Amino acid sequence: MAQSAPTLFTLDRVTVRRGGTLLLDEVSCHIPAGSCTAVTGPSGAGKTTLLRLLNRLEEPDRGRVCLHGRPLPDLDVLALRRRVALVAQAPVLLTGDVLDELRAGQPGLDRAQAAGLLDQVSLPAAMLTRPTAGLSGGEAQRLCLARALAARPQVLLLDEPTSALDAASARAVEQVAGSFVADGGSVVLISHDPGQTSRIARQVLVLRARQLTASPAQTTSHRERP
Amino acid sequence: MNPAVPTWAGVAASLALVALAVAIAWRQRLRLAREITIAAARAGAQLTAVGAVLLVVFARAGLAGAFGWLAVMVLIAGQVAARRARGLPRALPVATAAVAAGTAATVGTLLALGVIGPQPRVVIPVGGMVVSGAMAAAAVTLTRLREEAAAARPLIEARLCLGMPAAQAFAPHLHAALRTALIPSVDSTKTVGLISLPGAMTGLILAGVSPLTAIRYQIVVMYMLLAAAALAALIAARLAQHALFDDAHRLRPLPVVTSAERQAGPGGTNESRRLP
Repeated sequence: MAQSAPTLFTLDRVTVRRGGTLLLDEVSCHIPAGSCTAVTGPSGAGKTTLLRLLNRLEEPDRGRVCLHGRPLPDLDVLALRRRVALVAQAPVLLTGDVLDELRAGQPGLDRAQAAGLLDQVSLPAAMLTRPTAGLSGGEAQRLCLARALAARPQVLLLDEPTSALDAASARAVEQVAGSFVADGGSVVLISHDPGQTSRIARQVLVLRARQLTASPAQTTSHRERP
Repeated sequence: MNPAVPTWAGVAASLALVALAVAIAWRQRLRLAREITIAAARAGAQLTAVGAVLLVVFARAGLAGAFGWLAVMVLIAGQVAARRARGLPRALPVATAAVAAGTAATVGTLLALGVIGPQPRVVIPVGGMVVSGAMAAAAVTLTRLREEAAAARPLIEARLCLGMPAAQAFAPHLHAALRTALIPSVDSTKTVGLISLPGAMTGLILAGVSPLTAIRYQIVVMYMLLAAAALAALIAARLAQHALFDDAHRLRPLPVVTSAERQAGPGGTNESRRLP
C-alpha cells in the first residue's frame, strides 16, 4: 500500500556541504504523499538538513529535490513554504501574545478560527489572550504547531517536535500529526523515539553518517496510523 | 596673525600634555604609555602631511582635485566600516557604496542649493565631516545587522518558514540596527550647544569669526551630518539585507566572528576614535 501511494518528495542523489563539512552524501529516496514518514538516525547524521531541504531552507550542492515530480527551484519558494510548513525542534515565538502568534501564520485570522487552531493542538481557547512569554515549553511547541497549521499547509515537517515535551504534550502533538494525515495531509517527522515512529509513521528513513541506510521499501515499520 | 592660532612653538609646547598623559599611564601601570606616544606622534605626522597636501590642493588642484580627495576618503571610510562588519557577505562593496551614496547626496545637495561654495577649501573639510558621519553610521548599521542575523537566525528562519519574504522576515532586525546607528546622530543633534560646543563652531570661533556667523555654519553641519548618517545607514542596511539573503529567501551561513577578531578590527584603534 505504501508503495502505491503517489510520491510527494523525491530526493535524487542529494549532497549537501557547508563550509567544507559534508552534511548529506548522495541521498536518494521517495517520500510518499498522504502519510507520515519518520526520519531517524544518530545525532549529526543529517536529519535536520534533510528536512530543511524539503522547504528550501537548504539547497543541495549536488542532486535535486522534487515535489510531485517538479524540482523545488521551479516552484515559487514563498508559496512552497506555505504549502510545506516546517516546525523547528526548539519553539520559536515571534510575537507578544498567543493570538498575534497565530496571526503570524495567517494574517486576518479571527478569534474563532484562532480558538479552533488552539483546540487542534489541545490548548484551551482561553489562552488566546495570554502573553507568549509565560508559556511552558510544551505549550510553546504546540503553539508553534498551531501557527504552522494556520497557513493551511499540505505538508508538515516536524523536527523532533516532542523531544523536550512531557508525555501528555507529546501525545497531543502525535494526535495533531495523525489528524493532519487523516485529513489528507502529509507529515515528515524527525524522531529519536522508536515508540513514536511505530505509533504514527507508515515508513521510516534511517540516516547514518550522512547516508540513507533504509529506503521506504525497507521500512522498519509499516503499521497504519491508528 | 590671529593670536588664537598657536605657533609651531606652541604646538611643541603642547607636547607637555602628551607627557602628562604618558606619565599617568606609566604611573598607573596601564601599559598604554607606548601606545599614547605612538598615537601622538602619528597624529602630529598625519596632520602635518594632510596640511601640506591640502595647501597644494587648495592652490593648484581645483574642484576636480577636491572631489578626488573626497573619493579617496570614501574608499578609506568604506574599508574601515567594512572591517567593523567582518563576516558580513560583501561587506566592502556594501560599506563603500553606503558611504559614497550618503556623501554624494549630502554634499551634492549642499552644493546644488548654494549652501556651500564650490571651492576646494570648503568642499574638502565639509566633505570630510560628511564622510566621517556616514562611515560611523554605516559601520554601526552593518555591525548590528551582522550580529542580529547571527543571533536571531532561529527567529528569522521561523518567519521564513511561514512563507514571509526575506525583507519581512528581517524587518524587525533591520529596524533595530537602524535605530542603533542613528540614535547617536539624533542625540548629538538634540543636545548640540547644551552639553558640547561642536568642532566646526569651535574652530570658527577660535579663528576669530563671530559666534553668530559660526552657529550658521554649525547648524548646516548638524543637519548635513544627520542626513549623511540617515542615508548611509539606510543604504547600508538595504544593501546588507540583499547580501545576507539569497534569491530563495534563505539567510546565508555567516562565519563565526570571535571577540578577538572583532577587537582586531578598527574597534579600539585610532580609526574608532575618529568616529563621532
